[in-house]
Amino acid sequence: MGLIQREIEKAGIATIGISIVREFTEKVQPPRSVFLRWPFGHPLGEPGNVKQQRSVVLESLKALYTISTPGEIIDLPFRWRRHDYSTYVEPDNFVPRDQS
Amino acid sequence: MSLINRIKNRLIAKVITRYPSLAQRFITAYEPRESGEVIPWTPAKKPLNECKLAVVTTSGVHHNGQDPFDMQDSEGDPSFRAINAATINDDYRITHDYYDHSDAEKDLNIVLPLDRLRELQQEGFIGKLADTHYSFMGHIDGRHIATLIGRTAKQVVENLKQDNVDVVLLTPA
Repeated sequence: MGLIQREIEKAGIATIGISIVREFTEKVQPPRSVFLRWPFGHPLGEPGNVKQQRSVVLESLKALYTISTPGEIIDLPFRWRRHDYSTYVEPDNFVPRDQS
Repeated sequence: MSLINRIKNRLIAKVITRYPSLAQRFITAYEPRESGEVIPWTPAKKPLNECKLAVVTTSGVHHNGQDPFDMQDSEGDPSFRAINAATINDDYRITHDYYDHSDAEKDLNIVLPLDRLRELQQEGFIGKLADTHYSFMGHIDGRHIATLIGRTAKQVVENLKQDNVDVVLLTPA
């Protein structure tokens, strides 16, 4: 996946990738990633868990704007099946740094 | 690849999904590209609420009417399928023997979160969600890495540019 991400970014489109295997992502070095230590096949979480899926999407989109070093991987704090999403505070600043 | 091999791969995928540490030797052996290349870098130029967003997934999702990904080639299938966001939830299959997709068959959003992105568009977080998204199978190795980089990923890049997509979210399996 990271190889495709690199090609898209190379063509001038900003990208953010979700990683569930940190070692793969460290090897491939896509420009921006968020990492979750979650099982294969579940990058956005569990079936029907809307709040969980939404939290991962929002954190990914936030990382699109906050990562400023090529290749950076942000470790998301969500623990598999042991995270309380009711306390999650949604980000609201999805703006390039020089415009915020 | 024989049917027995495909069944074996699916069993391994189920076990690895449950016990991720068993995947370690596959991960250590994976050498996807030459090291030392510069990491590409294109920062987002506009606020998200002015951006058009598309998703590229490597989870092996495709519409029922599309050719399934080729599971016979041990180096994977580097081709892609265009996904119609309007119809995919009611019309999809997953062809990918290398992970357990039984949960993604219950709720596609766990690999391709188009419902969540549509909600964020309606709430004003995202400018526009693209109508077309792209799906690969992942698990691409050996000679097909060159096919992917030289041909199929390039084609997707061209399509995204034609569609004026500003930002891309990538989701694995």
